[in-house]
Amino acid sequence: MHSLAMGTALAIFGGPLLASDRSASHGELAGTEFDLEIDKIPVNYSGKARFATAVNGTVPGPLLRLREGDVVTIRVTNRLDEMTSIHWHGLILPAEMDGVPGISFAGIAPGETFTYRFEVRQQGTYWYHAHTLAEQTGLFGAIVIDPREGKRVSAAGPALRDYAVVLSDWTDEPPLQVFLNLKKMSSYYNFAQPTAGDFLKDAKQLGLPQALKRRRMWNAARMNPTDYSDVSATTYTYLMNGTTPGGNWTALAQAGDRVRLRFVGAGTASFFDVRIPGVPLTIVSTDGQPVRPVTVDEFRIGPGETYDVEFTMPDERAYTIFAQSMDRTGYARGTIAPRPGMAADMPELDPRPWLDPIDMMGAMAVMETGNGGHGLMEMPSKARHARTEYGANTDMRVDYPRVNLDDPGPGLRDRSRRVLTYADLRTVGQDPDPRTPERDIELHLTGNMERFIWSLDGIKLNDSKPLRFRPNERLRITLVNDTMMVHPMHLHGMWSDLETPEGEFQVRKHTLAVQPAQRISFRVTADAMGRWAFHCHLLYHMAAGMFREVVVA
Amino acid sequence: MIGPRLGRFAAIGLACAFALSTSALAQEIEVQPQHEEEPGSEVLGEDHSSMSMPGRDKPMDMGSMQGGRAPSDARNSDDYSDGYRNSTLPNYEMADKLSVPKILVEELEFVSGNEGQGANWSFLLTNGQDNDKLWIRSQGLKTSRERLDPESSAELLWWHSRNPFWGTVLGVRQDIGKGATTWLAAGVEGLAPYWFDLQLTGYVGDDGRLAARLKASYEVLLTNRIILTPQLETNIYSKNSADRELGAGLSNIELSGRLRYEVTRKFAPYVGYVWERAFNGTADSRRINGEPVIERRFVVGARLWW
Repeated sequence: MHSLAMGTALAIFGGPLLASDRSASHGELAGTEFDLEIDKIPVNYSGKARFATAVNGTVPGPLLRLREGDVVTIRVTNRLDEMTSIHWHGLILPAEMDGVPGISFAGIAPGETFTYRFEVRQQGTYWYHAHTLAEQTGLFGAIVIDPREGKRVSAAGPALRDYAVVLSDWTDEPPLQVFLNLKKMSSYYNFAQPTAGDFLKDAKQLGLPQALKRRRMWNAARMNPTDYSDVSATTYTYLMNGTTPGGNWTALAQAGDRVRLRFVGAGTASFFDVRIPGVPLTIVSTDGQPVRPVTVDEFRIGPGETYDVEFTMPDERAYTIFAQSMDRTGYARGTIAPRPGMAADMPELDPRPWLDPIDMMGAMAVMETGNGGHGLMEMPSKARHARTEYGANTDMRVDYPRVNLDDPGPGLRDRSRRVLTYADLRTVGQDPDPRTPERDIELHLTGNMERFIWSLDGIKLNDSKPLRFRPNERLRITLVNDTMMVHPMHLHGMWSDLETPEGEFQVRKHTLAVQPAQRISFRVTADAMGRWAFHCHLLYHMAAGMFREVVVA
Repeated sequence: MIGPRLGRFAAIGLACAFALSTSALAQEIEVQPQHEEEPGSEVLGEDHSSMSMPGRDKPMDMGSMQGGRAPSDARNSDDYSDGYRNSTLPNYEMADKLSVPKILVEELEFVSGNEGQGANWSFLLTNGQDNDKLWIRSQGLKTSRERLDPESSAELLWWHSRNPFWGTVLGVRQDIGKGATTWLAAGVEGLAPYWFDLQLTGYVGDDGRLAARLKASYEVLLTNRIILTPQLETNIYSKNSADRELGAGLSNIELSGRLRYEVTRKFAPYVGYVWERAFNGTADSRRINGEPVIERRFVVGARLWW
């Protein structure tokens, strides 16, 4: 359960005033030269004193405001007693500046300073984080890149109020402990599994045959229909800009103000479903890339993704920024209000429905039920499984994945609210590289939930060989999610240009959430020489092996 | 007493254990559809008609989604590498190769029943990477009116994953107490469809006996923290053992139910009831000793792991 304690990170040693000031304003550093220091700081989010890993004494670390076209120098000093790193998530830069230990460089040793230096070649909202388990302990922050000339202007004109909203999940347990708990018992944090009581309730409401039928598919396959998130509020306190729900992080805006909120999905194992009750939200950008504005009531943000959201403050009162975890065990919460200290009504957590048959069966479930409600679909083509998917690492394969993008995802379907789907996201302008892809790479997202093994094509990172991209080729990567979880797949160093189900360019992103039993395709222009990471951005899936190296050579 | 006889029986024992294992795995494979292994057969046509039949009450065919063998035209994921290898820089992400040590004390309990009061244990220590682990498994019972239960034993096993849900074990079992036998052990364990936990192990003893032990259990979630675990255990021996007071054939069947409360995942006190019946020569031994053929015990204990 959430602590209502004020949960702002406070540095006690060495300049507490400065640190707490920074924390309150989420600290912003601008320019071309930056000095970042990674160190432990005492925090208390849950009622227990713990140490977080902070950048310049705050969690999240300071917002870095860069300018397109600048060459920036960022000196990162490691004050921890273990290796660490910072990865610039979504930034297009030379491979050795990407910050992935073992792939870009050797990491930053204790006491060492590593100097990152690269040209800023884009604009928009991005973020940075450790590419180690230390990400779970607070090592992340937002990056905002302004255009070369002036501020970015959206369709509705410049925003008067501009805030980064970094959503994260905090646990008092060390990240390795979380990982080991999951390895030893994958349902360790799931206290919402179907019970005998649920069965009796179903039998009463639906009749015994229907109650049995509803369970048969899942139980025969040894799959859990409540498997939304590996880690829940049992251990997590969800944070908004490093502040607990009780701490109520607050953004200021007067009635009539144009507001831009730059949401960063910094959860290590958590998707968030975000809304501001009473305020329609216009999505203007995702992963730093402007999209045709689309207005929704709610959107889902996965680990690694960013969404810029704009709206006009309707009146002179407080509104709740509500970000419930996908598994509905908790929420991050803040307020946007004319004055500090205000609060609005808190919505209830939504119910947690079971996953749908399409989340296990893909298109076959749609054919079975004749329910084309979630955007269907010709007879889909069969997935081509890899030889290595027929081993112990893969508990399930989807032969006929669904290809619909107009699905907000499990737990968000059939809402009265208008919920964003990937089908709504359209990059402004043309296909940045209109060449027809020369070749296809098909990769399957695979797992063994019972044993908490995660892999691609059934092969864990350290059993795998890299994906080789040829310099400057345009290629298509097709991902088939053979599991029942949503995986935010992040390719480093190059853009992921998502295609429509018909194969047309649709939206440019750096992190693509692939839903259960879904197939998506995206195009890549291999214009970044060197070695890169490609992985699931759920930290514990990445650690368990859902990770491939990419070599552009 | 690991003598020459051991070798003679080793082959028989292993054959026996693997026959048992195969039957359990066969059940797993039965779920597979026949068409999976013919790559050429485009299942589309035949399946489509059955799948799209509306209102059909039969569950969807999902057999091909789990286990099975790769068709001959399956993709080779390594082909994407063009001969390149992963980076050799220091500090590469290695967490997928972590050895995970786990101590699971399934049963640690006081017992009270028609054989007096005593203690019972069942634990499993495992350590290793995802697909190969070292197992140490032990169980035993001591009540005030009986000597150590003849099934009291400890096993040292190599566990190897064979399938997403099944693994095989191979190693040795050492009985504890009077007339202790050393056995070669081979078996299978895993999670059957509908969430049944199964452990089936075959043994070849240094005294020439063959044996088999089956354990099957199921977890009923009354709530997410109150969990009822019914369990079946049975033991079979090929010959009598006077020292252990065990007869040939079906030796015993034990049915139990334990109701635990998970204070945390790792600490769960429980209460339970055990019914155990001896058969054949084992039952005769008990009668001769004036012991009941059917034992009943109430148990109270804790399930722990870390």
